[in-house]
Amino acid sequence: MEIVRVENLSKTYGKGEAQVAALKNVSFSMERGQFGAVVGESGSGKSTLLNCVGGLDRADAGKVFIGDRDLFAMGEEERTIFRRQNIGFIFQSFHLIPELNVEQNIIFPLLLDYRKPEQTRVEEILEVLGLTNRRKHLPGQLSGGQQQRVAIGRALITRPALVLADEPTGNLDSRNSEDVMDLLCKASRHYQQTVLMITHNRNLTSSADRVFQVTDGTLCELGGDRR
Amino acid sequence: MKHYLDLIAISAGRHKKQTRMTRLCIVLAVFLVTVIFGMADMEMRAQMIQAVKSDGNWHAGFVVDAETGALIGERPEVERIARYGVVNYGLQDGYRIGGVETCVCGLDADLLEMFPAVTVLEGRFPQQDDEAMLNEAVKSRLGLQVGDLVSLTVPRGESRQYRITGITKDMILTAEHDAFGMLLTAEGYDALHTGETDAEQEMVYFVQFKKFCNIQKAIGDISTQFGLAPEQVRQNAKVLMLMFQSGDSYLMKFYFVAAVLAVLVAVAGIFMIAASMNSNIARRTEFFGMMRCLGATKRQVICFVKREALGWCRLAVPAGLLAGVVTVWAACGMLRLLSPGLFDSMPVLGVSVLSLVAGTLIGLVTVLLAAGAPAKKAAGVSPLTAVSGNAGTVQAAKRATGTRVFKVDTALGVHHAAGSRKNFFLVTGSFAFSIILFLAFGTAVDFMHHAIMPLRPQAPDFYAFAADYANTIPAELAEQLQEHPGVKRAFGRGYAQVTAQLDGQQTLFTILSYDAQQFRWAGWGLLKGNLADAEEGKGVLLAWREEGQVPVGSKLTLSVGGEDREVSVVGILGDVPFSHGTAANTGSSEVLLICSEALFRDLTGETGYAVLDMQMEQAIEETEVQQIRKKIEQACGTGISFADKRLSNQEVKGASYSLSVFLYGFLVIIAMLAFFNIINCIAMSVSARMREYGVMRAIGMSVRQLVRMIVGETLAYMVSGAVFGCIIGLPINRILFEALVTSRWGAAWEVPVWELAVIVAVMGCALCLAVAGPARQIRQMTVVDTIGEAS
Repeated sequence: MEIVRVENLSKTYGKGEAQVAALKNVSFSMERGQFGAVVGESGSGKSTLLNCVGGLDRADAGKVFIGDRDLFAMGEEERTIFRRQNIGFIFQSFHLIPELNVEQNIIFPLLLDYRKPEQTRVEEILEVLGLTNRRKHLPGQLSGGQQQRVAIGRALITRPALVLADEPTGNLDSRNSEDVMDLLCKASRHYQQTVLMITHNRNLTSSADRVFQVTDGTLCELGGDRR
Repeated sequence: MKHYLDLIAISAGRHKKQTRMTRLCIVLAVFLVTVIFGMADMEMRAQMIQAVKSDGNWHAGFVVDAETGALIGERPEVERIARYGVVNYGLQDGYRIGGVETCVCGLDADLLEMFPAVTVLEGRFPQQDDEAMLNEAVKSRLGLQVGDLVSLTVPRGESRQYRITGITKDMILTAEHDAFGMLLTAEGYDALHTGETDAEQEMVYFVQFKKFCNIQKAIGDISTQFGLAPEQVRQNAKVLMLMFQSGDSYLMKFYFVAAVLAVLVAVAGIFMIAASMNSNIARRTEFFGMMRCLGATKRQVICFVKREALGWCRLAVPAGLLAGVVTVWAACGMLRLLSPGLFDSMPVLGVSVLSLVAGTLIGLVTVLLAAGAPAKKAAGVSPLTAVSGNAGTVQAAKRATGTRVFKVDTALGVHHAAGSRKNFFLVTGSFAFSIILFLAFGTAVDFMHHAIMPLRPQAPDFYAFAADYANTIPAELAEQLQEHPGVKRAFGRGYAQVTAQLDGQQTLFTILSYDAQQFRWAGWGLLKGNLADAEEGKGVLLAWREEGQVPVGSKLTLSVGGEDREVSVVGILGDVPFSHGTAANTGSSEVLLICSEALFRDLTGETGYAVLDMQMEQAIEETEVQQIRKKIEQACGTGISFADKRLSNQEVKGASYSLSVFLYGFLVIIAMLAFFNIINCIAMSVSARMREYGVMRAIGMSVRQLVRMIVGETLAYMVSGAVFGCIIGLPINRILFEALVTSRWGAAWEVPVWELAVIVAVMGCALCLAVAGPARQIRQMTVVDTIGEAS
């Protein structure tokens, strides 16, 4: 089942001589449970692609379908609500709310959606993330790897169809990077969630079903290391 | 945690320090509004107490016949009506008790309710035509008691007998003219009036209207219904003004000024809160971006910001209200302390509901309004701002800093101020509003100086004067009375009339003799010349004349008792104290000359005084005053009159004290707020940029350079605030001045240099302190931690 479909996505920054084409007619699609990795040089347009796919940014042209919904056909309010219910984000620098503890950070997207967190689901996520005994800790009391795990938990709590991760291991050492990759693979395999991850580290693409390369705003598929 | 808004409480608990300044701003704004409205309310109450004491609490008076009076009394809007008539108000028609001119009033007992100043000390109001109430002076001077018979000598008949039923406190009119006052029933008065005058009976029907009645409309209706001419209708202007029921065009201007000031105060509060909230939101761009990333809608972010702001109000508004109420209490306490007796009915711990409502409303509404814009701004933060890592703690610069005019540190400071247009507008606006408020309220002080002559230091409380101003009071009496218990000062003056050639015309001069103390007081009004020369008897001081001046040093040849005496003019006085008893202030061509006592004796051969003034302790016993009086009578015989100015002096003092306390109170509060607002704004701006400063320190910027940067930022706000404040404040000052002062007294508007100097000085002090705090913070800053904390 197709979860995400991108059609002829284009995005340009700046004007005149300073104009930069960040994305040029990018098209691809991903199935349910697939794990995709996007690689590319700095400034090649990877993050722009991810932001457009996640609805954080608007493209100049083209369409993004999540399921059968066209992201850019929605109004701002509708898109935000759709995003929080269907797309999970994981950032390189975690972006946890410093005054909330681990458990509160994880359930926060549910609260924004006025939903009551299911305790079993929270326990399960904490268990999977290995944070059960740290649930009352504040982000400032956690290591980088633990903070990223909390961010992953936050992205997964709403059971989104699509998880977007922007260099989730960029700030982590190799051991924590492995843990994070395991968790993302688990999301893809175990929970059948589609994961699209940006990375600089070619070694990490070994876990991916499909690998995309972005070069000067154009996307090409390199194939899947694992496949 | 059950709701995303619970984050507000959690966050507030952890970031008390960061939101402290915003909360402080709300406290200050609420305080400003509460104090100003509270003080205005209390001042109105104080003025009302004064007005009711001096003019009574009637609303309108109608000079009509009995039938019309009865019909007016039947109207539904009339709460109370009472008759009043008076003979011998001018104290020269020959109604006398014991040879003393007596003002005779006839009234209904209800009228006493409308004139609380008429205090019944003992006995009761008369009920029969031949019963009367008299003032205290009759009791003390003639030894009459309640129950005694008193004989009133009348112009046409020989005398009328009345039984005394009560004694009232002395009133200003009778005290000042040393006269007696007699109160009869309306019927008793009627009998007297018809018997003694040919004039038709003329009674004034004083009316108090019911609460919430439109008094102007009611007066208009009554006048139309009974065809009353304007001169038949009186209005208690002061009381009606204080009830916001006056239709007087000047008073309408007064209301307009009050409304302008109230709006200015409210806007100042809004600016203060908006500036602080804007700055608070601006530094949390990244946080709101993250909220948006996590899926918060714009509406949710707006709700978050507003709820957060209301959360600050929960403590800040009551704190502001409390501080405001306590300040108003202090002002009322001070008023009672300054003028004991006069404002006793004003509660020290009174609470002005108006101020509480205004403070709360301004606090809450302003916070909600002020939160609206930053909330939209927060909601408008793109989620990308958070993920892109471009969200700093401060707004992204839109243009580069210009370093041509200033050095880079100062230029950066100026750029920090002007970088964000909205922030610049709000902070500058809040500074400008301090100046605007100060200039606007300054006009009220000008009004006060014109409206109320403060009691001059030389004003006597009690004085004795010889008939026809003959110098029959022995000079040594002043020294004796100076020693009398309760007398602060006793001093006298001789009067003499002489003629001299002036401007080619024979002119009448009045010479006054001053002692050393009176010369000191006169010193304030010296326009030209030398006071010491006059005091030493080397010449005379001449009062300033509109027609032209005699040059200092010139000679005047005075004709005294048929003998010509030459005197030098050693000075010109613009304002001559103690000119009462002369025609100088009645527009007559009589010219005043002032000389020393020795020169006066030398010129006139007179050694006594015509007037003997006394200043008394506030707590002097009435028996002491009577003793003084007797002492003077014994020393001077019968040709002496007295005037007791204590009551009217107290009234003048009360009015000027209450206005001074509240108006200067307003100015102090505004100046204080300008002071704290500047310090707070700069502290907020600095704390928002701490990370940036840390980076600058890391790349080699010295503390001194950073301080220069903050000075640059503060000066940019202050200079532009001062310029905008003057551009808007000066025309407002002019408009209000013209409405309050020019339209009434004709004084032309001038640039309020003093007000400007004071507020600029206050802002200057605030600048020094505003920079000192952050400078200390920067000196103590650990660069690594500062950068680390924020990243």
